[in-house]
Amino acid sequence: MTTRSPAPADSLPDVLLPVPAEPTVAFSVSFGAGSRHDPPGKEGLAYLAGLMLAEAGTKHRRYEEILEALYPLASDYGVRIDKERTTLTGRTHRDNVDRYVPLFTEAYLAPAYDARDFERLKSDAINEIENTLRYASDEELGKAALHAFVFEGTSYAHPPEGTASGLRSVTLDDVREFHRVHFTAENVVIGLGGGFDDALARRLTATKQALPAAASTVERGAGETTGSRDAARPARLAAASDSPIAPRPIRRNEVLLLDKPGADASISFGFPIGVRRGEPDFYALAIAVSWLGEHRNQASHLFQVIREIRGLNYGDYAYIEAFPEGGERTMPPVNVPRCQQLFEVWIRTLPNAHAHFALRAAVRELERLGDAGLRREDFELTRAFLEKYALHFAETTARRLGYAIDDRYYGREQEGHLERFRRMMRTLTLEDVNTAIARHLRGQSLKIAMVTGAAEDLKESLASGAPSPIEYATPKPRHVLDEDREIERYAVPVARDAIRIMRADQAFER
Amino acid sequence: LCFNRETPGGPGHGTDVSGIIPYPTHLHSLPNGLKIVLMPMPGNGLVAYWTIVRTGSREEYEEGRTGFAHFFEHMMFRGTERYPSELYQRILTEIGADANAYTTDDLTAYHVSTAGEDLQRVIELESDRFRHLAYSPQDFETEAGAVYGEYRMSRMDPLFTLHEAIVENAFDVHPYGHTTMGYEADIAAMPGLYAYSRAFFARYYRPDNAILLIAGEIEPGRVLELVDRHYAAWQPGYVPPPVPAEPPQRGERRIDVEYDGRTLPTAWVAYKIDAFDPSNVRRVAADLLADLAFGPTSEAYRRLVLDEQAVEYLDAGASANRDPGLLEVQARIKEPAQIDRVLGVLDETVERYRSAPPDEGRLGAPKSRLKYEFLMGFETPDHAAQRLARHLAIGGGLDGLEALYAAYERVTPDDVQAAAAAYLAAERRTVGVLRGRA
Repeated sequence: MTTRSPAPADSLPDVLLPVPAEPTVAFSVSFGAGSRHDPPGKEGLAYLAGLMLAEAGTKHRRYEEILEALYPLASDYGVRIDKERTTLTGRTHRDNVDRYVPLFTEAYLAPAYDARDFERLKSDAINEIENTLRYASDEELGKAALHAFVFEGTSYAHPPEGTASGLRSVTLDDVREFHRVHFTAENVVIGLGGGFDDALARRLTATKQALPAAASTVERGAGETTGSRDAARPARLAAASDSPIAPRPIRRNEVLLLDKPGADASISFGFPIGVRRGEPDFYALAIAVSWLGEHRNQASHLFQVIREIRGLNYGDYAYIEAFPEGGERTMPPVNVPRCQQLFEVWIRTLPNAHAHFALRAAVRELERLGDAGLRREDFELTRAFLEKYALHFAETTARRLGYAIDDRYYGREQEGHLERFRRMMRTLTLEDVNTAIARHLRGQSLKIAMVTGAAEDLKESLASGAPSPIEYATPKPRHVLDEDREIERYAVPVARDAIRIMRADQAFER
Repeated sequence: LCFNRETPGGPGHGTDVSGIIPYPTHLHSLPNGLKIVLMPMPGNGLVAYWTIVRTGSREEYEEGRTGFAHFFEHMMFRGTERYPSELYQRILTEIGADANAYTTDDLTAYHVSTAGEDLQRVIELESDRFRHLAYSPQDFETEAGAVYGEYRMSRMDPLFTLHEAIVENAFDVHPYGHTTMGYEADIAAMPGLYAYSRAFFARYYRPDNAILLIAGEIEPGRVLELVDRHYAAWQPGYVPPPVPAEPPQRGERRIDVEYDGRTLPTAWVAYKIDAFDPSNVRRVAADLLADLAFGPTSEAYRRLVLDEQAVEYLDAGASANRDPGLLEVQARIKEPAQIDRVLGVLDETVERYRSAPPDEGRLGAPKSRLKYEFLMGFETPDHAAQRLARHLAIGGGLDGLEALYAAYERVTPDDVQAAAAAYLAAERRTVGVLRGRA
């Protein structure tokens, strides 16, 4: 399978991944606008604008007619609204392409802006914040809280879903305006993968010309402005023209405790990192962080220390790119490209009495990595692992399409990220990795978010820096207990005035 | 080599693709009872290697042992004498495999997605742990802590709380009455059950209770040779558990469930249905019934979700189980004041399907949907294996699956009504309503 160049620009979609033998076709239409473009006070506008494409009626059919038409095809389409982009994706069986394509294309070409659809989606979105995010998964709440904490004051702070008060203030006219300004011919990338033919490729491309032309000046939200762009040029993604996200520097450890009565502890901590896909340091860090905490991988180090040896929780992972819905997926997501990423550690739910200990254990491992670097043996093993493991990042055509579209965002059209990733695993040296660790990772000046039912106790424990020994239900070997003596006293200094407590039921209110 | 071929077409001779499964399948069994399903298919260089143990929480019939099948799944990663867990993990790391496992009511599945060139090593590793699993009491106790952590995560989810209460009330004696996670008290007591864990392994982790499913870019003959070499000495001795039969339910059960947090109220109505059996027309028709009555094109959906917008989410499905299971309807309701009215609409819907057959013209859509839903699930070897695993576990082979899709095509409106009349009776159901804190 090859990636074909998208020329000439006016006759073929931007990204084509033909797999002639494949019985299904994957579709993707990605707009360069996301939650960072929410105007202040209307956090959630991009989210509703995206949902109004994927889960609402069009000028040609009411939503129930769309459901009726999609149903026998066992196909649908969905939307991912993230910070930078809004991506409509779908997949259908080759037998059903002719019935599916009108439904899929009408979704972005001819939204109906039906008030009843809007009301339904807005109410669902508010529920998503008020009930699901705040209550249904403390781990997701903890991760969203960390992102808000790190990006406080920037347009990356609020979750892509918005805030409760922001969503309440969004109107249907706001959605129309968002579409008019952002969902334009020059701001879209169209992709097609699997068993499609040239006629279908041309048909999809034609829809691009049916999108509105770019508005002359576009308010990019939060004071960011871009000038007009030439609509005839192939779509270049908006990131380059968006102003950078500049989170406030973190000068000491800072803690946000989300007080949720009855909850166990779910911990996320991290800090912004200035590396992105394509840069050599990204791949060097990928090796280091995979060794430290590859997502859902039992061999990784944090997993070994916290779960495998001590049985404190279900898993412990580390990331250098956003990884939403981590509890539900084993492989990295697509369609969440960002211009500013976090280094992030996720310590899964554990008893409150173990929270301080687990935090110390994780920070200690991070500092040890920073101090000593990766050992040669671990470097060799991890890069060999990743070179093959990367095959699993995009097992399906739909996911390869997602990666290819993300490549456009990161300016990786020549050598795609996955290809480069595997090549870099062969060419990077231990020195490259350890230089990248020294340059980008640190074990202090962290932002730490915890959902907990014991906020006051944890505040006291963290601020005092008192030892946090833990008890095991069953005997542990001597060497583990000896190491525990070090962990329970490990310094993660937090000044009392650097600890904030917020009620979980107020999270993401505004 | 000594294989019993169960379907035409041995190694190197693909069976015809005439049924619902879009790739040729080769079915074999070893003299020790181990079944092997091979499915050559495109895989971008990847092979899915699944070991399906036909034991899940269904086999937890003993007092105080709920959650044990799932816990035991964790122990399967704790190594053997030859490949202690560190070495096992190291090899999987070296070959960049994506390996994991899951447990449900009727099965436990161990899956490895690997580059085809590493298949032989995977066969060595996997056969070794199924034959020679060995772990210390300390490892056993430590892993119990991780399982408790998993429970802590799950209980945050209001639907988990409601589901736990529904099955507990719906079943009097059958182990389907507890979730695969198990009761918290039993999870807390797990560290003391080391000896039981060895007995559990000896009873259920036997070749005559397991199926290997290998899909992707494979040479069936070569793979069979390797499987024979590594699994032939695995000793049979499966002990079928005395799973108690659930007596017929004789009256409606209603429960109110509190959730310690905020949530939209959720109604969950669970009707007792027959075990999965593609020759049981009524049971086959129940799959279409659930979709017709409560799916996204149903009148109930249109009314409750789209027009009145009283319900955020409405879904229904009939479980495919070895023993009689449940047809469940769930509705997340926007306002507590609307709960009774929504339950009323669900009841009206049930009554309509019980009293008259649906229009003939409405049956084509769910039949088409079932077919394409299945076909679109074969995107990768791993997806394909996932698609087949439950049916293999329930039926022990793929015949049931082929029979099922053929049977869907034959379902008539009268069959749907008969299924509704038989299953959707008030005395067969448990109605649960979950409410959160105000």
